[in-house]
Amino acid sequence: MLRVDAAISRVRRDITLSVLLKVVLTCAAIACLIGGGSENVRVVALLGIGSLWFWLSLNSARSSRTSAESPLLIAAGQFEEAERNIERAVRTFSLFRAAKLQALHHLALLRHAQRRWQEAAAVARALLGQRLGPLQPISKSTLLLLADSLLEMNDLRGTYEATCALYRERLSLTEVLNLLPIQIDYSARIGAWPSMLDHVMDKVQLAELMPPALSARTQAFLALAAKNVGRPDMADWLRARAELLTDAQRLAAERPALKELWES
Amino acid sequence: MTEPAAANGFLDVERLLESSPARPRFNMGWGLGVILLAALIMTALAGGAPAEARQAVAVLSGLVMLAAIGGMCAFSVYTVRRLRAEQQRVEQIGELVQLRRWPEAAMALDAYLSRPAGTPQLRVQALAYLAPVLARLERYEDAITVQTYLIEQAGLDPAGATAMRIGRTMAMLHEDHLFDADRAISELRRSPAAGSAALALVELYRDVKTGHPTEAIELFEQKLTTFRDQLGHRAADAYALAARAYDLLGREAEARAAFWNATLLAPAIELFRRYPEVKKLSDRFHPAPAPPEAA
Repeated sequence: MLRVDAAISRVRRDITLSVLLKVVLTCAAIACLIGGGSENVRVVALLGIGSLWFWLSLNSARSSRTSAESPLLIAAGQFEEAERNIERAVRTFSLFRAAKLQALHHLALLRHAQRRWQEAAAVARALLGQRLGPLQPISKSTLLLLADSLLEMNDLRGTYEATCALYRERLSLTEVLNLLPIQIDYSARIGAWPSMLDHVMDKVQLAELMPPALSARTQAFLALAAKNVGRPDMADWLRARAELLTDAQRLAAERPALKELWES
Repeated sequence: MTEPAAANGFLDVERLLESSPARPRFNMGWGLGVILLAALIMTALAGGAPAEARQAVAVLSGLVMLAAIGGMCAFSVYTVRRLRAEQQRVEQIGELVQLRRWPEAAMALDAYLSRPAGTPQLRVQALAYLAPVLARLERYEDAITVQTYLIEQAGLDPAGATAMRIGRTMAMLHEDHLFDADRAISELRRSPAAGSAALALVELYRDVKTGHPTEAIELFEQKLTTFRDQLGHRAADAYALAARAYDLLGREAEARAAFWNATLLAPAIELFRRYPEVKKLSDRFHPAPAPPEAA
């Protein structure tokens, strides 16, 4: 299995190397254009530089294409295949900074799917520490992944910081649907019951769009909040809905705080 | 919501299918090639001219080439931005559909599909959103037209085509095209959709609609976990149809329980709109109580 610290340092090293290589090749090309010496030698050197650049770009593009399959493999639960793909992308030198960062993002996705929260958080942090450039859109999904991993590790301060960063962004519906369960779970852990019930029907409507298990957990947490603020009608309704969507025992095993809902 | 009439041209499917195809785009590569070729010919023709004229032609052709390359870059940036904005617009329509904000979704789709789309893919995506909006407006014949068009002509991927076939079969049942629906169900049973909750829901509706409550209940009880795990809140549909099936067999307690569960997951009014057959239960059974905010 690919060690995340090794992967992070490899990506950082390759990014630095690719920048250096680009600078050297550009300087060499400029020297060929404006420097002295035989014209034939300059043309041959220029062609050589162009060919090298082209070959490196081609290799990098090929590696990026292979790496692009990783999210599909992760979604399909083919973790070993995804791991091999990502490892190849991390170890192959690429001229494109974005390709290396993309590989790191895929590694974070994989570790999150494998429930290796600490490693997922480490990779996500390393990725967010980089200048993402054209990959800026992945910063939101990386932040979501970081927030979720930190929450699973019960790092409430880290979760708060990651979610605050997300509140400053304009989120798509899918991103909102990923953020809401994290926000609600976090609020329950700090006992912010009244704020959990702010715009409660909007939250319920969003929960209805989530996958059943996540929808059940979100509504169960809202039920817990309703119970704690003295709204038994709301608590009963939400709890009954959660029970229809998933097995209550499984829900309580996943989040022991929810056991309270089924205690008389 | 008030059903917008197709008669006044709003969401007129024929019109939208005709107006929305993407226009063939101008190939910038060819344009640039022609300009560069013209510049080269101009330079070559000036070969026999005096030195000053040659120099002027060389400068001019250089400028033309620079302008052509600059223009192509600017056009590419403009095109990419325009396509990105259009993609965002289609994604927003998708979000409106997901959030069940039907009037806004219908208006946005009418506006979007009334003009040529940026790419064929964006058009297909918008048409895929149009089908459920039409079904929600109870314009099932129009929904079937769009779904058939997408299945037969849009080159959907297998999963997309299967989802579209399931939606079309449901619309056929609503329109009482029972023979066509039955044939479509048989085909779906041999497709990757076999065993899915979505197909089971269609079969459940067919059994209730055609007066086969015993088969409906058998299917419901067999697939209950699948409905829960795959449909989430839409499992309300299965509970509602099962309630009607139990009621048809006179199993009142079970009908009441199923109706209760259905109305816990979805408002009764929404279920009656989706399945008019279930409305008959509203006189005898109470929906599950909901907090005032949910009313």
